[in-house]
Amino acid sequence: MNRDLNSVWEKVIEDIRPTVSEGHYGTLLKPAVLSSIEKGVATVKTSSPIIINMLRERLVKDIEKKLEKYTGEADISVVFVPGAPMVGAKVKKRNDDGKTPLFTPESDEKKLSSPTIGHLPRVRADYTFSNFAVSGSNQLAFVSSSTVAKNPGTSYNPLFIYGPVGVGKTHLMHAIANEVYIKNPDRKIIYLTSEEFTNEVVEAIRNNDTARMKRRFRSASLLLIDDIQFVEGKEKVQEELFHTFNILIDKSAQIVLSSDRPPQEIKKLEKRLSSRFAGGLAVDIQAPDFELKTAILLIKAKKFGHELPIEVAKFLAEKAEDTRSLEGFLLRIITEATTTNSPITLEMAERAIGGMFEEKREHLHAEDIIKSVCEFYRIKSTQLKGAKRDASFVKARHITMFLLNKDLGLTLKDVGGILGGRDHTTVMHGVDKIENMVDNKTDYFGDIVGIRKLFRG
Amino acid sequence: MKTKISIKKLQEKLPFINRAVSPKSQLPVLLNILLEAKKNNLRIASTDLEIGIEVDIDAATEEEGSVTIPARTFIDLIGSLSEEEIVLEEDRETLIIKTKKTKSVLQTIKSEEFPKLYKNKGNKIATLDAVLIKKDFSSIIFASSMDTTRPALSGVLIKKEEEGFLLVATDGYRLSLKHHKIKGSNEEETENIIVPSRVFRELLVLKEDSEEINVYTSKESSQIIFEQGKTILIGRLIEAIYPDYKKIIPTDFSSKIEFDREEMQRAVKICSIFARDSANIIKMSLSKDKIIISSHTPQTGENSVEVDAKLSGEENEIAFNARYLQDILGGVEEEDMIFEMTGPLNPGVFKIKDDNSYLHLIMPVRVQN
Repeated sequence: MNRDLNSVWEKVIEDIRPTVSEGHYGTLLKPAVLSSIEKGVATVKTSSPIIINMLRERLVKDIEKKLEKYTGEADISVVFVPGAPMVGAKVKKRNDDGKTPLFTPESDEKKLSSPTIGHLPRVRADYTFSNFAVSGSNQLAFVSSSTVAKNPGTSYNPLFIYGPVGVGKTHLMHAIANEVYIKNPDRKIIYLTSEEFTNEVVEAIRNNDTARMKRRFRSASLLLIDDIQFVEGKEKVQEELFHTFNILIDKSAQIVLSSDRPPQEIKKLEKRLSSRFAGGLAVDIQAPDFELKTAILLIKAKKFGHELPIEVAKFLAEKAEDTRSLEGFLLRIITEATTTNSPITLEMAERAIGGMFEEKREHLHAEDIIKSVCEFYRIKSTQLKGAKRDASFVKARHITMFLLNKDLGLTLKDVGGILGGRDHTTVMHGVDKIENMVDNKTDYFGDIVGIRKLFRG
Repeated sequence: MKTKISIKKLQEKLPFINRAVSPKSQLPVLLNILLEAKKNNLRIASTDLEIGIEVDIDAATEEEGSVTIPARTFIDLIGSLSEEEIVLEEDRETLIIKTKKTKSVLQTIKSEEFPKLYKNKGNKIATLDAVLIKKDFSSIIFASSMDTTRPALSGVLIKKEEEGFLLVATDGYRLSLKHHKIKGSNEEETENIIVPSRVFRELLVLKEDSEEINVYTSKESSQIIFEQGKTILIGRLIEAIYPDYKKIIPTDFSSKIEFDREEMQRAVKICSIFARDSANIIKMSLSKDKIIISSHTPQTGENSVEVDAKLSGEENEIAFNARYLQDILGGVEEEDMIFEMTGPLNPGVFKIKDDNSYLHLIMPVRVQN
């Protein structure tokens, strides 16, 4: 519909163009937008009331006549409304979608009711309890997390969540942070991965400034550390963690940890630490069952702004092994639906996903994806795998991580290995970032479609 | 048309009129100003389509009429004249401008080409004290965004309150809020409106003898009109939803410190020299009886300045963009200020001592140490 209106408007103004000065065309007609035609009333958006006065005075009759000609409707009357941005107004180029630390665009323009959590560092505001799909495999983890979020520091301390990749550990941790933050924005909440924790400790020791680091962690009222298993074998870090841990528990600040295995199974972990980890509540999340996978699909599809028919969701849930590949399938289908402009049906899903499986098994290799990304961005694969952090390389690298993980179904660890031995959390960050961008309909979406075209032929 | 006016009056008014003249436009008439001669009055108008300005000047008119002439040339011409009076006389497609000793001829464009700035003024929503409102606008306006990708943030929110209006401006990194009191109680029915900050920036440089500003809005044409004396400033209203500013304003703090604004302003100015090449970051360390303002750039050097202060609550540290600090410290006039904060990652709040009508909040910069 939108496209129709645009093309009608273009025809209208091209017809009027020869009859007015180029100045009138450029200032009055070109920037205006035909936003709707309903029951003989056409609404045209322009940037300012003064422009509306000018249009009304000299061009309204012509516009109405041409609109009648191109829509075939009789007796169209035009209403001008202000609302389009000023022409030539300063528009800063940026790719953060208008997000600022104080407000996110959704928070003020779409969902006025949902609280802003934009400025909780490192925590994704869209990971909340309300959009976490619950079923038998993760119910215990969900319930204990929400209990902790309601009464931080008093119920289960520490809360230790463990389970395989892609089951929602990070989602729950972010949800706890968000929930605590909404209730009391003044609480000091620190969320970080164990790798970042390690880095801070190392940095502090190197700069001979451990006091500051200690102060920072020990003043937290909620400390969340993701992927704690990576402190394995790092003695100094474990020691720091141990002391921080004791102080926080003493002043009943809440600690939440996540790991891919239970505390006792983390090797090279000091006894005193592993016993403390297990001292609160350790809950596990199992790989999602069929029903949960279906539910997750429906939730995610909604997030992307699409309605997914239940039979398609079931079909996808059967095919996918973990939640991350679910998302890959879903994205694939949505891309297919938007590019071909057709509704999502079971046939279409079978075609799209079926194709994906064949390609994956028969001839799609990691090198193909890397080659396509390099070709698309015109960079060398050594640059892609290298350490340089130029913006263009970083973007290409993240997209590669995303594609390797989603389209090829490689594990984060393997992806890291292929890309010059990067850590799996780095890869996770990259994949998350792109995922985030794709939700937001940036031009990343177009890039990904383009790259996929390259490696799928 | 033919009319006679004082050059001095013109020289006074033209700089302001010039502010609404398009610097460049595809539409030639927008490079012009409109002259409209009535019996005892010459009305001059300019517009760049976003805002419009209309000024009345006393004149002795022999023949009524209207015409548009190139703004730049006319303004430069009048600026260079030193005599007392000029005569403007339309002659076919030109306007002849005569003083005793000079004669200039300007090409005109028909006045019908010039856009109508407004149909009617609309409803009067307030009469404001010019000095007070301009002071209050200056204390908030710098926080609004220059970037129009998010229309709401490029404007100032005006919200009716019992005793006046609440003014809010934010660019998403900082926020200013001011309760503007008016005489008597505010009984006018007014919806919340968002006005482009540009309109206020122009209003701030408007100089008129009258001490009152009348404000009109028209929902139908979504325009706002400020009228001070013989000058009218016309702006549009922004149709957008203003972000929920209330929930980002901290209700509590762990440190509160009192300081002198000018002393602080000097300190920030000095430190910003050393912050220039390191993202303009300035650190504030709050301690018992002073605030230490410091900055450093690895390749240049570093410095710190002490500002006397009185702390209640815990010692704390926070870092800000120097420009934001300069804006707030230069934006208000009061000397005794208060700064409140909870932690280095939560917004810091500036207030004026013994005055709860004003608040300025800045999102800190996160620094790794």
